[in-house]
Formats: sequence, C-alpha cells, structure tokens
Amino acid sequence: MLEYWLGVATLTGIYMIAVLGMSVLTGFTGLFSVGHAGFMAIGAYTSALLTKTYGIPNIFGVISAMAAALIVGLLIGYPTLKLKGDYFVIATLGIGQATKLIIENLPGITGGARGLTGIPPGSSFLTVLIIVVVVIWILRNFLRSKQGRNCVAVREDELAAASIGTKVASYKLLAMGISCALCGLSGALLAHFMQYLSPSMFSIVKSDELVMTVILGGTGSLTGSIVASLILIPLPEVLRFGAVQEWRMVFYGLLVVLVIIFRPSGLMGNREFSIAGLRRFFENMRLRMKHGRAK
Amino acid sequence: MFFQQVINGLSVGGIYALMAVGYSLIYSLLNFTNFAHSITVTIGAFATFYFLTELFENIYAGILFAIVVAGILAILIQILGYSVLLKKNAQRIYLLITGLGISTMCDNLVIISFTSRFRVYPVNFSTKAINVFGATFGTIDLIILAVSAVALILVQLFIKKSRAGLAIRGASFSLETASIMGINTQKLIMIVFLIAGALAGLAGALLGAKYTAYPALGTNMANKAFISSVVGGLGSITGAVIGALILGIGEVLISGYLSSAMRDIFSYTLLVIILFVKPSGLMGVDIGDRA
Amino acid sequence: MQDKEAILELRNVSKYFGGITASEDICISVPKGYIYGIIGPNGAGKTTLFNMITGVYDTTEGEIFFNGKKINGLPTAAIAKLGVARTFQNIRLFGSLSVYDNIFTACQKNITYSLLDGLFRTPKCRRQERAMSDYCEELLEAVGLIEFRDQQADNLPYGLQRRLEIARAMATSPQLILLDEPAAGMNDEESMALTAFVQSIRDEHGITIVIIDHHMDVIMALCDHITVLNFGQLLAKGSPDEIQTNPDVITAYLGVDD
Ligand SMILES: Nc1ncnc2c1ncn2[C@@H]1O[C@H](COP(=O)(O)OP(=O)(O)O)[C@@H](O)[C@H]1O
Ligand SMILES: [Mg+2]
Repeated sequence: MLEYWLGVATLTGIYMIAVLGMSVLTGFTGLFSVGHAGFMAIGAYTSALLTKTYGIPNIFGVISAMAAALIVGLLIGYPTLKLKGDYFVIATLGIGQATKLIIENLPGITGGARGLTGIPPGSSFLTVLIIVVVVIWILRNFLRSKQGRNCVAVREDELAAASIGTKVASYKLLAMGISCALCGLSGALLAHFMQYLSPSMFSIVKSDELVMTVILGGTGSLTGSIVASLILIPLPEVLRFGAVQEWRMVFYGLLVVLVIIFRPSGLMGNREFSIAGLRRFFENMRLRMKHGRAK
Repeated sequence: MFFQQVINGLSVGGIYALMAVGYSLIYSLLNFTNFAHSITVTIGAFATFYFLTELFENIYAGILFAIVVAGILAILIQILGYSVLLKKNAQRIYLLITGLGISTMCDNLVIISFTSRFRVYPVNFSTKAINVFGATFGTIDLIILAVSAVALILVQLFIKKSRAGLAIRGASFSLETASIMGINTQKLIMIVFLIAGALAGLAGALLGAKYTAYPALGTNMANKAFISSVVGGLGSITGAVIGALILGIGEVLISGYLSSAMRDIFSYTLLVIILFVKPSGLMGVDIGDRA
Repeated sequence: MQDKEAILELRNVSKYFGGITASEDICISVPKGYIYGIIGPNGAGKTTLFNMITGVYDTTEGEIFFNGKKINGLPTAAIAKLGVARTFQNIRLFGSLSVYDNIFTACQKNITYSLLDGLFRTPKCRRQERAMSDYCEELLEAVGLIEFRDQQADNLPYGLQRRLEIARAMATSPQLILLDEPAAGMNDEESMALTAFVQSIRDEHGITIVIIDHHMDVIMALCDHITVLNFGQLLAKGSPDEIQTNPDVITAYLGVDD
C-alpha cells in the first residue's frame, strides 16, 4: 500500500515537471500550446530507446531527451513565434499530433501503438523529488531574473514590452525552449518509471490537461502550478470508478471556463505564496479602498 | 480509379471546407481560433442519428435538424463562453483557453450521454453505387459533394451580396472601426457564430453518414479542417475552401495508393511544412498590431 | 539641411495604409534638449509618426535618423535600446504587475548578466539586481510613485497610470521620450501637475521630449517648438507664439476640431 502511494507521489512529481514547464510558457509568457504532450513523448522515447538499445546510462538518456525535445521545440518555435496570430498554437497542434502518429507508425523502432517494453528502470521517488526541487529552484531564479521579467512583460503587453527594449520573439522562444526541455525531462523520467511507453500516453488530451492544470493554478504563479499539480495529478488515481474520469474532465473544462471568465489570474492569482505576499495583499486592499479603482 | 479517387477526395474536402469556413469566418472577424468549433460537428452527427432513429427516417430532414441544433449550440457557446471576454477585450489567449475548456467539457459530456460507441445511421445508402463514365461512385459521396457545394455557394453569396455579409467583410479589417461607425458588431458576431455552427452541424451530419457518429468525430475532423484553414491562409474564406479541397484530395490519394496510416501523417506534416515555408498560407495576409 | 544638433530627424517621411494617407512627406528635426510639440486634429497622423519612429510601423517612404543613425527598418526593441522610449495614447502598462515591477522590468540598461547567471542566481546576478533595485526605488521616489510601490498597475487611478507609464519610459534611461497625449482625460489640476512633471524630466534628467497633446495650455507652456499636422500633412512649424497666431492653424482647428 505504501509502495502504491509512493508510486502515485513519484508520478505526481514527474508530471509536475511538465506542468512547471507549461507554467513558464502559458502562465508567465502568455503562449498557448495544445501539443506539449508531444514533447513529453519525444523525451520519453528518446531516453527509452537510447538506454534500451545502446545500453547507455539513464542519466545520459535523460539529458539527450531534454536536448531532443528542446531542439524540436526551437525548430517549430523559431518560424512561428515571430508571427502575429495563432500560428504558434497551430504548430504545437501539428507537432503534438505528428509525433504521436510517427511513433504509432514506426512499430519496428518504437513498438508502434502496442507500446515499448523493457525500458531500463529508474526514477525512484528520491531521484524525482530531488529533480523537482532543483527545477523549482531554477525556475524561481529564472522568474526573478531579467530574462524572466521580460517573459512576463511579453505576456502583459507585447507592444509595451518591445517599447522598453524587450526582443519579444526571442523571449517567447526562450520560454518555449524551457517548457520543451522540461517536458522532455518529464517524459524521460516517466519512461524509466513506467518501464513501458505507448503513444496513447501522450494524446492531445494529455496536452490539454497540462494547460488546464496551469490555468487552474493561476497564470503567473509557480506556487499555483505546484499546488494545482499536487491536487489534480493524483486525482485520477484516487477516483477510479465508473464514468468518473469523464466527469473529471467535464469538471476541469467547466472550471477552466469559469476561472477564465471570472478570475483570469487563476486560483492563486499571479502571486507566489509567501508571508511578504500576504502582507502586500492586505496593503493593496487598504490602498484600493483609499483611492478607488481606475476608470 | 483515379477519377473515382478524385471525386471521393472532393467529397471529403467538401466536408472539411464546411468546417474550415467556420474557423476562417470567426478568425477573420475576431482574430482567434475557436477551439470549441469541433463540438458543434459532433453534435451535428448525433443530432442526425437521433433524429433518424427516434423521430423520422428522412436523411434530408435529419440534416436540417442537425444544422439547427448545431447553429443554436454555437450561439450558446458564444453567449455563455466568449461574449464576456470579447466585451472586456480580453487577451486572445483567454479566448483560446475558454474554447479548449468548452470543448473538453462538451466532448466528455457527449461520451457520458451517448457512450463511446459508433452509431450507424439507419439510412442505408453507403452500399449503393452509381456508374458514371465507367467509374463507380458511392451515392453517399455524390450527395456529400452536392450538399457541401450548395452550402458553400450559399455562404459565399451571403458574404458577397447581402448587407450583413458586406458588414462582416468590412468589420474584419477592424472590428473597432466598424463599431465606431455605428455597425452593430454584437449582431455580426452572432451571425458569424450562427453560420459557423450551422455549417459545422451540416458537416457533422454528413460525416456521420460517411464514417458513423462517435464522440471523437468532431475533434478528429475539425483538426483536419483547422489544417485546411491554415493551408489556405488563416482568416481567408476562399483560402479555407481551397485548402480543404487540397487536403481532401491529398488524403484520399495517399490512403488509396499508400496506406490509410500515412494519411494523417501526410496532413500534419503538410501543416508543419506550410508553417515553415509560407505560414500565412496560400491566400493569407498578415495583420499588424495597432498601437 | 541636416541640423548637427538634431537628436531626431524625419526626412520626407510618408505612410500609407492601403488607400489612406496617414502621413505625407513629413520633415521634422528635433534639437537635443528640446521639448517639441506635435499637434493637430484627430486622425492627423500624429500617433502614426510615433509608431514609425519606434519601428512599430515601417515607413512607406522617407528616412528617420536618431543621433545621426538611420533607424527606420530596425525592430522596435532595437530602437528602444538605442535610447528612444515612448508612452501610448491608450495606456499600455504591464497591468497585472505592481508599480515597482513595471519600473523594474524596464530597468535593463545596466543588467549584463547572462541567462545562466539568472538561472543559478550567481553573485554577479545578485549584485546587479540589487543595484537596479536601489535605482528603481530612487526613481519611484523621484516621480512620486513610491507610495504606490506595491499596488497593481491596473488598479491605479487614471492620472497615476499615465505617470507610471512615463516613469517606465524613463526607467529605460532614454535620450528621447515620445509622449502620446499624456494629458488626455485630465482635468486642469492634473494637467498642471503633468506639465511640471514633464518639465522636470527635461530639466533634471536632460531627456529630450516630443509631446503630442490636445491641451493647448500644456503644449504652449512646455514646448520650445511646435509642428502642426493636418490630414497627414505638415501644416505649420514654429514657436508657441507663432503657432497661436498662424491663420492656417486657426482655420484648421476651427474647421475640424470637435
Ligand atoms: N494600423 C492602421 N491601419 C489602417 N489605418 C490606420 C492605422 N493606423 C492609423 N491609421 C489611420 O491613419 C490616420 C492617422 O491616424 P493617427 O496617426 O492615429 O492619428 P492621430 O494620432 O493624429 O489622431 C487615421 O486615418 C487612421 O485611421
Ligand atoms: Mg493619436
């Protein structure tokens, strides 16, 4: 029983890494993707095949996985992030679907739709925990850095960002790179944890779930993404009866719509949880009452 | 054989076009991709199926029913989902996410209500064949081809000739300017959603006849329509139709001469290539930001 | 005739949007250290000029020079890095960020640390961040926004939003600031305060300013030189006194103003 819950916790940590990647892309930079499960797939299969076929250590498999996802991500991001309009979203749809279809149709290499077995084990709870902590630390640093602030500026207003000297397309590409590398990492860890992969694990529904977790946690809050991951990712494991999975997705969809309409900053808002933040919150309330709202 | 494939491809392309025009209309007016479009397609197929099984076994009446139901659904989606965001001029990403939320919710409600089974229309025409110039065509393909052509021509006439169509074309340059000039933009938005929904419902009804009705039908097919609208150029209605026909014929030829597994790979690869080579598509124009 | 002292120069600049002529054959030369006014009825093409100077729009014809360097054709961010900052007619703040973060984001001139420094928050990164943070506090103090430091930009009253947008422009350490209708929607008292503020930006920070506005008292009190546009064309140029007595300007304003 303990082992089961440890497994759930490990899985939560693994998916959380992908959600954190999406948080940088969607939450902090304001870009939307419907194909990031594809980058998880690229990472998962890269590491699985390299370690299984060539016997290289898992750690190098995982690093190659991140590199592969990063490179593909930058390749599709580079031409489309320069454009105005929904081209980038479309590209993520294309890459997400294409990845899955290619995996399904190369049974000789990937095991096809029936899946890939015999992947070297790894991703113990402790390993995943350490990686999660390191990833959170690095992202926190990133968001407090000039580069992170520029990403947020792009989310807030591209034109205003450009007018203070932010190279909008470059920072979008940076966010894309970070999110893809993290999804690649998450996928690779998943491969070694499950020791089995199939293309259905990386469907468009999975991509949508990543986005929705970020939205529900709060665009622009790392803490929000972490909390949302901790609640939402284990949920399917807890709820295992009848049509409950479908109801779960109905609920997610509804909640996302309600959040966007009534509280676009998400459950946590764009605040990180901290004592200083709590103080700021009350300070803000006080000022708001004193000066009234604009317009 | 080849001729037959081309007709088949045109009929597939025709259905894609019905859905792609909806994407383009909404994109041209409001500058965002309606991710909830697919659900109106699914509902169109199920509406037809239940009309035929429960009410009245006439395919044309069933199609009409699907058009009405899907049109109403599209309007509801606009009113309940998008209108608040559009009114407060929300960032486009919020519209995309809302669309995703609506489609996730509705897709799963469809599974819960109708189960994941494949439903075959009780009208038996898919086996009938017609002989023309020595080639055989499925009746269903010819019906689809004719119905989509008529629908597309009607929409084209509406956009080109009617006053509302003129207003839509004008407003697609700048909704803000149109509203300053005293055009009722709310009404235009409603009309556009109604047309998009009605066409999607028609597409769903036809798709159900060709492939059976099932919950993921809308998503699978609307994605193809989405690709079509990109190939043709986002926001261009003519482009959407051309893109859809190219994609339809391409897919049918690929599955005919290679394998049906290669068909989807072809579509999504085409999408990625277009984005690399000419992202604005065959007929698209890039619209700049206004300071 | 190139003025050596000119910080900004527009040479025969035109912009057409399809059939609409937004600017036609505009020549403007802004001397360093001036507060330079651009006025004209709505739709005269004033904002379009700012958009061309900052690279938001490409010019259809003509050239734009900043400190003698041709800047038209450069991307917006590159022009901003050269030292051109601006505000927008309809305010564009980083709305969900705090006042402080709006300013801090714009303060980038002296930040040289790399992405890796940022990811691992190295001593170099910490040092520069601290220095910038001190600078931002000082700037907030100087522009009188320190009291609102942690308030969300969207929640500020309108006049303070305008002020914050100008402060954000100042935070980029520019040599030239373009102000697009900074007094729009302000009452007399507010526009008086704004006038003093703009004056101080030039006098205390030595920043050249180009200002578009409809408030004639603001323009006349501030500007060293004024250009009047009408229907995308240059109608008149001169000192505030000359402009106020120019018959063409009076007709244009009487004829078109709302
Ligand atoms: N992006 C654009 N597309 C089409 N027309 C534009 C665009 N921007 C400005 N215009 C037109 O150019 C003219 C000048 O506009 P603008 O520079 O905003 O005037 P002003 O700032 O003097 O009020 C107007 O007729 C306006 O409609
Ligand atoms: Mg203007």
